[in-house]
Amino acid sequence: MSTASGFIKAIESGSKHLVIRRFTFRYPEQKLRFVGDGYQFDPKKGVGIAGYRGRHILMHDKCTGCQLCAIACEGIAEAIGMVKVDENWKQNKKSIMPQIDYGKCVFCGLCVDACPFYALFMTNDYELSSFTKEHLIYTPQQLEVKPKYDGSIELIITDRGATHG
Amino acid sequence: MATLEEKIEETRRLGLQVVKETEEDRLMTLSIGPQHPGSGHFRFTVKVDGDYIVYCDPDPGYVHRGEEKMCEYRNVIQNIPHLERPVIHDSTNVTYSYSLAVEDLMGIQVPRRGQFIRAIASEMNRQVYTLYWLAIYGIFLGHSTMFMWPAGDRELFIDLLERLTGARVTHAYNIPGGVRNDMPEGFKQRCLDHINYFEKRLKEYEDIFYNMPLFRQRTEGVAVLSKEDAVKLGVTGSVLRASGVPYDIRKVEPYDVYNEIDFKVQYMKTGDSFARSYVPFLDMKESCHIMRQLLDKMPQSGEVRTKLQPNPKGPAGEAYRRVESGRGALGYHIVSDGTPKPYRVKISVGSFRNMLALPFLLVGNKLADMPAVYWSLNYWPVEADR
Repeated sequence: MSTASGFIKAIESGSKHLVIRRFTFRYPEQKLRFVGDGYQFDPKKGVGIAGYRGRHILMHDKCTGCQLCAIACEGIAEAIGMVKVDENWKQNKKSIMPQIDYGKCVFCGLCVDACPFYALFMTNDYELSSFTKEHLIYTPQQLEVKPKYDGSIELIITDRGATHG
Repeated sequence: MATLEEKIEETRRLGLQVVKETEEDRLMTLSIGPQHPGSGHFRFTVKVDGDYIVYCDPDPGYVHRGEEKMCEYRNVIQNIPHLERPVIHDSTNVTYSYSLAVEDLMGIQVPRRGQFIRAIASEMNRQVYTLYWLAIYGIFLGHSTMFMWPAGDRELFIDLLERLTGARVTHAYNIPGGVRNDMPEGFKQRCLDHINYFEKRLKEYEDIFYNMPLFRQRTEGVAVLSKEDAVKLGVTGSVLRASGVPYDIRKVEPYDVYNEIDFKVQYMKTGDSFARSYVPFLDMKESCHIMRQLLDKMPQSGEVRTKLQPNPKGPAGEAYRRVESGRGALGYHIVSDGTPKPYRVKISVGSFRNMLALPFLLVGNKLADMPAVYWSLNYWPVEADR
């Protein structure tokens, strides 16, 4: 290919993108939509259910305080610690539940795989930043709250290119 | 043109500084890195005579994390999240190789659907890695459009992997025994849409980058690595294939379902910087072809994971398995003494082997060609240091 036609082709290829819709989106105002409510695990079948691995959610009525999630996290991130709660559940005699330090968590989700009682799942909430380290530690009460997440942007591929909309 | 042996002798002579005083005054030593010469913390010192590099001394080790030692204190499942950290852009291929080795050791059989999903995730992750590599190669050579485009198109595959695995980069998806979850609904169609669009984009890459006369002039004929030297130095992956050796682990040592897939090993014969940058591009094209076949041949339903004991352990023994990662052969050698924790893990990475070619390729080239040579080696310092 001659030098001139090489340049012309490059410019032509680039300038086409002047009329194509932009690929990016405005993040804090617009957010990505996720499929499902987050990563879950079915201990009976021994297989996970696809979903985003964000902040955890803890079902207080199912947690037995068995510490398997904390044991799974040992050697990975050591983010889970068991703490005493002021709740009386029949299945949880010791009244202990996991507390997660998101300053350490790597969001691998192996704690969810370890839970045999359908008590610990993950959600779509990924906006966890805070000004202090202490605020990154989520107590069992905080983990019980279902996150409010309303993303609506999705990657769309049309004949004229890919865009977020 | 000096032979490899002469070059080794020459670099040794200069490295030991047994040069005459007057000659030493002529040379200037420059330290490149260790902050960030483009891809991670890595330093190399070069001695320049005017504009030409006469000596190069790579100095890796700034990001050594002791991955191999860490493996000895964790069980086989707990090892997964930390093993994928050194090269997060290619994390599925890292865990793929590790899982294969553990399965060999423990005698675990992966369900057929799980094998296909693994291979699809691995191909997608290779695309993600190669696009990231291409983006940095573009910006290294001052082509900022080539930084924006691959960085944007990476999102196509990141989006797919996010739906499949639940995380954008560190997937922790392959696990000894299969994959952690099945495909979500409508995933296959979405994959095909993305692949079709991506193939159109690859044509545009060719127009704006690979056929651009400026890029070709900067890379063609620069730092030629001959076939014999490539084999002697033991380079791997795209660097080896660019020198005319059609060597791909997916072909020579087919793992899982790759022996059922029809594909060609992409290689070039020139061995210069251009060939080293073009071979990964050809690989991306071939990878689209492989992914289509995998999606087509995949069983529609079935198990994806073999259930393991909570703290899995196998008989004492050892296993070595490797896969073709974005940077070449990536192997795991695991020795077990029968306990849940591995006795010894040795990781053989492509980055480190490709880095060994750097001193011999840089010598004799201009300093301005350094970025074009360095990044064409597909080198990832964090992976090399482990």
